[in-house]
Amino acid sequence: MQRLRTSGSTWLLLAPGVLLLVFAFLAPLYVIYQFSVGERMFAQTPALASLTGEATSFTTQMWSGFLGHDVQLKVLGGSFTLPLVAVGIALLGLLLLTVYGSKLVPRGGGVLAIVSALLLITPFLALPWGDSFPRLAELSSEGTDLRLFFKSVTMSMTASLIAVLIAFPVAYWLAFVAKRSKYVWLLIVITPFLTSYLLRVYAWRLILSSDGPVNSLLLSLGLISEPVPWLIDSQFAVVVVLAYAWVPFICLPIFIALENMDRRLLEAATDLGASRLMAFRRVTLPLAAPGLIAAFLFVFIPTIGEVITPGLVGGTNGYMFGSRIQGDFISSGSFDWQQGSVISLFLLAVVLVLTAATSRFLRNAGGEVS
Amino acid sequence: MSANSTVAVSRNGRRSLTTFFGLFLVALYLPTMLLMVFAFNDSTTQSWPPVGFTTHWFSDAANDSELLKSVVNSLKVGVVVAVAATVIGLCVSYPLARRKFWLRSPVSALMLSPLVVPPVVLGVAILMMIRKGPNIAIPLTGSNTEDLLGLTAVMVGHTVLALPFTILLLMPRIASIDRNLEEAAHDLGASGPVTFRRVMLPLITPAIFSAFLIAFVISIDEVVVASFVTEDEQTLPMFLYASLRFPDKTAVVLPVAFLLIVVSFALAILATVIRVRGDRRVTAS
Repeated sequence: MQRLRTSGSTWLLLAPGVLLLVFAFLAPLYVIYQFSVGERMFAQTPALASLTGEATSFTTQMWSGFLGHDVQLKVLGGSFTLPLVAVGIALLGLLLLTVYGSKLVPRGGGVLAIVSALLLITPFLALPWGDSFPRLAELSSEGTDLRLFFKSVTMSMTASLIAVLIAFPVAYWLAFVAKRSKYVWLLIVITPFLTSYLLRVYAWRLILSSDGPVNSLLLSLGLISEPVPWLIDSQFAVVVVLAYAWVPFICLPIFIALENMDRRLLEAATDLGASRLMAFRRVTLPLAAPGLIAAFLFVFIPTIGEVITPGLVGGTNGYMFGSRIQGDFISSGSFDWQQGSVISLFLLAVVLVLTAATSRFLRNAGGEVS
Repeated sequence: MSANSTVAVSRNGRRSLTTFFGLFLVALYLPTMLLMVFAFNDSTTQSWPPVGFTTHWFSDAANDSELLKSVVNSLKVGVVVAVAATVIGLCVSYPLARRKFWLRSPVSALMLSPLVVPPVVLGVAILMMIRKGPNIAIPLTGSNTEDLLGLTAVMVGHTVLALPFTILLLMPRIASIDRNLEEAAHDLGASGPVTFRRVMLPLITPAIFSAFLIAFVISIDEVVVASFVTEDEQTLPMFLYASLRFPDKTAVVLPVAFLLIVVSFALAILATVIRVRGDRRVTAS
C-alpha cells in the first residue's frame, strides 16, 4: 500500500518534466525526422508544404543527396576517393577502439587506444594559422553540406585541442601550486564563462579587427606593413575565439581529475626512483586522461553546432555547419524545411554517437562536477 | 601538503606555471575589459585606440525604444524560464535523488539530454513542431498552434535548455541530505508535504536560489533558439546579435554590453556565494 502510493507520487512529480520534454523536445525531433525522410517538396509555399507535410511517403532521397557516395581523403598531397560507408565504418571503429581499446586488449591496449585516437583526429586536425590551415590529412566531399561538416569538425576539434592545451597547465597550477586559495582562483577562472557568451565573442571582433589593438600593435612595431587579412572574418578567428570561450569551463573537469588523484602515488613513484618527468608521464597523465578527454568533449560537442561565433567573427571563410542550418530556416524568406531537417538530424546523430561512445569519460568527470 | 606539491612540480616548473597562470588570467579578462572601455569611446566606430571619453552612448541607449522593448522581453522570458525550470527541476530532482522506480535511468537520461543537443537543432525542432507538427494547441486554447511562435515558444525552448542545469544543481543537494531527518519528521507525525516544506525546503533553499539564477542567466544570454522561434518579437541577445554585426550600430549597443557584463558578473558571484554557504550549512547539519 505504502509502496503503491510512493510510486504514484513519484510519477506525479516527474510528470511536468517528462511532459515538457516529450512535447517540446522529443516530439519536435520526431517532426524533423519525418521531414527528413519525406519526399522532396519543391513547393515552398505554406499551403503546399503543409499538404506534403501530411502525406509524404518514406524515402531516403534527401539523405542520400546529402551524404553522397564518395569521400575524398587527401594525405600528404595524395588524393584518394573512398566510399562514404567505408569511411564512416572506419571512423566509428576507430572511435570504439579509442574508448574500449584498453579493455579489449589487456596488454598494449592503451597504446592501441592512443594510436586509434590519433588516427581518428588526424583527418580533422589543422594548424590554425594563416589563410588556409596547413594540414596532414583532410576529408572532403563533392556534396557542399558534407564538405562543410568536415570543415566544421576540423575547426571545432582544433579549437577543442587548443582549449585543452591551455586549460591543462591552468588546472595543474590550481591543483598543485595554488595553496589554500585554490578554490577562489578556480572561481576567478570560471566566472567569465557565466557572463554573456555573445559579448565575450564580440570583444574579439574588436581585438582582431583590421583597426584593432593587435593589428595596430604589430604595425607600430613594424612587423607588418598592412593589417593581417586573416585575423578577422576567417577560420583562424573562429578557432581562436571558440577555444578562448570554452577554456574557463573545462578547467573544472581537469582540475577535479588532478585534485582527486592520490598524491601518495607520486611520492611512491619518486621513492622508487622516477624523475619528476617520468612520474608525470607514468602517473599524473594516465590518471588525468579521463578528465582531459572529457574536457575535450565538453568543448567539441557544443562547438560543432556553433552559430554565434562564426556569425560574429567568421565572415564567409569561417562559416560553419550550424550557420548552414540557421541559413536554411532564417536568413532567406523561403525555408528549406527538408534540407534543414536532414542536416540538423545529422548533426544531432553525430553528437549523440560521440556522447554515447564516450559517456564513460563524461560520466567520470560530469558526476564529480555536479 | 607542501611536500606533496614539491613532488609534482619543481621550483622552476612552479615559477613558469605561475607565470602562465598570470598571463592566462590577463588574457581571460582583457577582452571583456576592452569591451567595457569601448562603451565610453567617443566615436561611432570601434577602432584602436579609443579617441575620447563620453557617456552619451548610455543616454542614447536609454532612449532607444527598440532596445528597451527587447530588454523587457528578455526579462519577461528570463523570469518565466527561471521559475518554470526551477519548479520543474525541483519536482523531477526529488524522485530522481530519493526514490528507486521503474525507468529511473532512462528518465534521468531524458532530463539531462538537452545538455548535448546543439541549440540550433533544438531551435529547428521547436520551430518545425509548431509550424509543421500536429495542431495540438487547438483543443486547449481554441487558437492555432502557430500563435505559440513568439515569446511563448522562446520560454518553452529556454526552459528545455535550462532544465538540465537546475536538475544538476538540485539533485545532488537533495541526495546529500540525511534521510534520517525526513524519517524523523515522518515518525513525529508530519505528512509528506509537511516534511518537504519544514525539513527539506529550508535545507535546499540556497540550491533553489542558485538554480533560479543559473536558469535566468541561461535564458537572458540565449540567442540561437530564440532567433528561430520568435516571429516579430526580439529578445535582448537577439537585438545585440543583430546590431553587433553592423559596425555603425555597435556604439549604441556597447553601453548595454557594459551593464550586462557587470550584472552577469554580480549574478554569477551571488549564485556561487549562495551555493557555497548552502554547502556549509548542509555539511554542518
